[in-house]
Amino acid sequence: MSEKKGSAYGTPATDTSFRRTYDLDEYAAKAKDRETQEKEESKARYEAKLAGKKYYKPMTGDETHTRARRDVIDLEANVGKVTLVPAGAGTGKRGRGAGFYCGACDLTFKDNMQWVEHVNSMQHLRNIGETGEVKKASAEDVHRRIAELWERVQERKKENTTTLKERLEMREEEAAKEREARRIKRQEELAKKKAEKEAAEKVKVEYGEDVRIEGEHDEDDMMAAMGITGFGTSKKK
Amino acid sequence: MASGTHRADERRFLDERGSNAALAPNGLNPATIMEKAVRERIVDSYFWKEQCFGVNEADIVDRVVDHVSFVGGTYGVTQKPTPFLCLAFKLLQLAPDDAILEEYLRFGGDKFKYLRALACFYVRLTRRADAVYKILEPFLEDKRKLRRKGRAGTSLTYVDQFVDDLLTKDRVCATSLWQMPKREMLEDLELLEPRVSPLGDIEDLLEDDDDVEMNGGANGDAGAESDDEEGLIKEEDSDRGRRRSTSGSSRRGDSTLRDRDRSRYDMEVDRSDDSDGDRR
Repeated sequence: MSEKKGSAYGTPATDTSFRRTYDLDEYAAKAKDRETQEKEESKARYEAKLAGKKYYKPMTGDETHTRARRDVIDLEANVGKVTLVPAGAGTGKRGRGAGFYCGACDLTFKDNMQWVEHVNSMQHLRNIGETGEVKKASAEDVHRRIAELWERVQERKKENTTTLKERLEMREEEAAKEREARRIKRQEELAKKKAEKEAAEKVKVEYGEDVRIEGEHDEDDMMAAMGITGFGTSKKK
Repeated sequence: MASGTHRADERRFLDERGSNAALAPNGLNPATIMEKAVRERIVDSYFWKEQCFGVNEADIVDRVVDHVSFVGGTYGVTQKPTPFLCLAFKLLQLAPDDAILEEYLRFGGDKFKYLRALACFYVRLTRRADAVYKILEPFLEDKRKLRRKGRAGTSLTYVDQFVDDLLTKDRVCATSLWQMPKREMLEDLELLEPRVSPLGDIEDLLEDDDDVEMNGGANGDAGAESDDEEGLIKEEDSDRGRRRSTSGSSRRGDSTLRDRDRSRYDMEVDRSDDSDGDRR
């Protein structure tokens, strides 16, 4: 890099200001940080190995408490879908495969039991940034929660109440729909039967080329004997 | 020592290596209140792993409202644990104190009957005998219906019936209840007041029943004194039983007397009489 604007072959570039310039010092500092961290980690791993213990990553300070799940785990999101999967992918840490995939831990599971066990495991919780601890609730918390749930139940009940008139109308609509569906079904069945009948008839009439019925192709035979084959086939349509 | 947090999973709770957990108020180790087989079934079930992980005392109410629609222990061929049982086990792990249990039983229980049933079950498992009687007896007046699933299938029961089972039976919801001393013993020890039933005094009740029975006519005299005359009544039993069968359905109201007499007649009377159709 002797001359910025002169190239090794003698033809300098005119304007290279569109290219990105890098702040070398910043990246040097970053590299230094990373190297010191890796050195510390490898030292800790070595010491753990010497002591015969397993090395665990130290916890960062800002992990959250675990909270209870809000909804039921959705197991049916991918049912029936066809996906392309890399050939080497499978269970375990071989990358995203078929089944339930956990992004934080890079693991795939084939079974919902394994999946839920993984989601509850300490390995996963740490990768997500949670401690495995749950905050205790006080009596006031419980009181408040009961009140909230009661409100929710009441509201749901209110939405579901229908007057007699509405219910009668709904019943009528359902009956009409059922009648329509039955009519359509009947029509389809009739159409099917008709089609089957016709197909049976067709099979009777259409036979192979080597089957010849007397009297059918007499004119054609005569013409063939005379050497006139004519266009098209002799098959009866 | 209150750390303010629980562990989200049950491993520490079930760890048997040391005495890490506090004992329940009645002196039992909460991890062994349920039998090992039942504990294994609970901990291996999908409901436990999915819904009972990371649950604290307030989330229990959420779970009860969303998922509990029957009481029961294990059901089915594979002995699947019910959500009720899983949540009871979670309560054993959380060990809520009396204030929270009060909330469950009173404020929550008025609105959500399965929450009340769950809290009563927990109280019966972990509280001392006098506390159990004191806490559970008011709920002998709660008439709401509960669905009960057991090995024999689904049946109907009531909150007061369930609480009575808790107070009298040995095994409820797949758990052997620790043996409580009877109420009379506690009354003698002056730990409890004698029970005043909301139905009124039993002596008065029996007297009323006597009068009504005597005036009832053709049904024979099953008076309160007939206890002493059991030997003499034996020949008439079959007659009485047959007569009872025709009018048994009209006399549902006199429950206390019929219960006592029925137990005697059961031994004598032919089962085909079907006079005990209303008894489960």
